[in-house]
Amino acid sequence: MGVIGKRVAYYPGCSLEGAARAYDVSTRIVAKELGLELDYLEDYNCCGAMESKNVTFMGTMLLNARNMSLARKQGHEVIVAPCNGCSFSLQRAEYFLETDRSVYEKVNALLREGGVDSLDKIPHTYHILEWFYHEAGPQKVKEKTKRPLRGLKVANYYGCLYTRPHFYARTYAHAGGQEEEVRPRKRDTADDDEHPYYMNALLEAAGATNVEFEPMHTQCCGGPHSLSDEMVSEKFVMMILQTAKRNGADIIATECPLCHASLEMYRHRLMMKGVPDVDVPAAYFTQLLGLAFGYGANDVKLKDNLSDPLPVLKRLGLA
Amino acid sequence: MAIHERSLVEPERILRKERLVVEGIDVSGDWNLIILPRVINDYDLDFAKEIINSPDGKTINQCYQCSYCTASCPVHNYWDERYNPRHFIYLARLGMIDELQKRADVMWRCVSCHKCTHRCPKGVLVEEVLKVILRTMAKKGLIEEYPSKKFDKFFTEQVLEYGRIEDGELLFGWIEKQGYKVVKDPILKKPIPFIGETPEWLKELTMKPIKSMNIGFLMLNAKHMLFHPRTKNWNRFKQVLRKVMEEEGALAH
Repeated sequence: MGVIGKRVAYYPGCSLEGAARAYDVSTRIVAKELGLELDYLEDYNCCGAMESKNVTFMGTMLLNARNMSLARKQGHEVIVAPCNGCSFSLQRAEYFLETDRSVYEKVNALLREGGVDSLDKIPHTYHILEWFYHEAGPQKVKEKTKRPLRGLKVANYYGCLYTRPHFYARTYAHAGGQEEEVRPRKRDTADDDEHPYYMNALLEAAGATNVEFEPMHTQCCGGPHSLSDEMVSEKFVMMILQTAKRNGADIIATECPLCHASLEMYRHRLMMKGVPDVDVPAAYFTQLLGLAFGYGANDVKLKDNLSDPLPVLKRLGLA
Repeated sequence: MAIHERSLVEPERILRKERLVVEGIDVSGDWNLIILPRVINDYDLDFAKEIINSPDGKTINQCYQCSYCTASCPVHNYWDERYNPRHFIYLARLGMIDELQKRADVMWRCVSCHKCTHRCPKGVLVEEVLKVILRTMAKKGLIEEYPSKKFDKFFTEQVLEYGRIEDGELLFGWIEKQGYKVVKDPILKKPIPFIGETPEWLKELTMKPIKSMNIGFLMLNAKHMLFHPRTKNWNRFKQVLRKVMEEEGALAH
C-alpha cells in the first residue's frame, strides 16, 4: 500500500466531461470516501486516443507531453487517468520518451516552442483502478461500505488497454542518458496481465458477487472502430454481453468510458435486432462503489447510463 | 500435404485432383496436391526502410514469424481470417507491395486491442508496426481511402482545432460523413439532434435521456455541442502541432 501517492494529478479526459460525466462524478465520490485526493489537471488537452496515433506519431507524443508538462508544473510525479484510452496514450508516450532519446529531445524542443515548459522529469501514469487498489485497497472499501451490494452478480469488464501491452504499462524502460538502451523494470503496482483482478477485489469487498467472465473480461469491444467498423464492433460486443448474461451476471462493471459507450450503444442495437441474451446493463465500477458507500442513485448519476441499470439495482434494493 | 495457411495461397496456384491414379497407385485428394512456384521481382526494399526509420516502426526487424500475433488477434479469429498480422509484417519486410495491396480491404480492420503486441515474444510492437505499414502505404498512395482512416483524420482534426474532442460533434459529424443528412442550425452551424436523418438505433438511443427526463445530462451535452469545449492557451501550441504534422505528411492526404 502507498506506492503511488495519496495526492495525484487527475487527468479526466474529454469523455468524462461530456457524455461520461457519471464516471467523473462517481470517481470523485469514491476518491473522497477513500481518503484520496485528486488534483484536477488544469487546461489539459485531448490525449489523441487510439485515433490520432494512426495519423501522426510526433503529434501524439506532443499532445501527451503537454499534459505531462502541465502535471509537472502542478508539482506532480504521478498522473492518474480513469480512461483506458487516456492512460494508454500517456503510458505509450512515457515509453517512447524514456526509450528513445531523439524523440525526447525533439519533443522537449517543440514543447518550449509551443509555450509550455519542457519536461525535466517524465511523470508516470496509472489507471485509476490501480490507484484505488494500491492506495486504498479492498480493506478500506470494506470499512467504508454502508450498504453492501449483497446479491448483485457482477461481470467485471476490464477492456483491452488496462493490462495490455505490458511494454507500456508494466515493463517500461529507462533510457538513462544512453540512447536506445532498454532496461526493463517490472512495475509492481500493475494488475495481472492475463487475469486482472483489481476490480473483482474492490467490488467483492463492497459485497458484490463476481461471476466467471474469462476470457471476455479483456476481449476488445471494437474500440476505436466502434463508429467506423460497425459490424466487427457489434460482433465483439455481442460476444461480451452474451458471455456475461449466460454466466448469470446482473450487471457489467466497466472502468473505461469508451468501452462503456461501445457496450451501451451496441447493446441497444443488438436488442433492436432481437439477438438473445444481450440485455445486461452496464455501470462504472465507481458508480457501484458509490452506491455501496451509501450514496443515492442520483448522486452517482445512474440515470446517465443509457443501458439503464436502475431496475436491476432497485430489484435488489441497492438504489 | 496439408497447407496450414491456405488463405495465403492464391487458388489458381493450387493444383489438386479429387480422383487420380498414377501407375496403379491411388493418389486422390491431398496426395497429388501441388503448389505452383512463383517468381517475385517487383519488390521494393525501400518500403521496409521507411518503416524502420520511424520511431514506432523500428521493432519490425525483431520479428521471427512465430505467428503469436495472428493466433491472438480477435479480428483474425472472429471476423476475417485474411487479416493476418504476421503475414503483413512478412510482406512489408520483403517489400511485396502488390501482395499488401491485395489485402487492402482488410488491412485497416485492426481494432487496436494490443493482444499482438502484448504477447509478442520478440518485443515487436506489432500494433504500432501494422499502423506504420498502413500509414506508409497511404502516404505513398498505395492504398485507397478506408473507413478507419477517415475517422482517425476527422478525430485528429477536431483535436487540432480545439485541443479537446466533444462526443456529440464527433458522432454527428461522422454520421454526416457516412452520407446521412444532418440538419444544422443556421447561425452556429451545429448539428441538431432528433431532426435530421440518423440511423434508427441511434435516434432511439439519443431519445433515452429525454424520456427519462435527465435534465442535467441534456443541458451539459447541449452546452458542449453549442460551445465546443476548448483548451485555453491552445493557439500557440496548435501551430507547433500543425507544423509537426505537416512535416510528417499527416495532413496532406
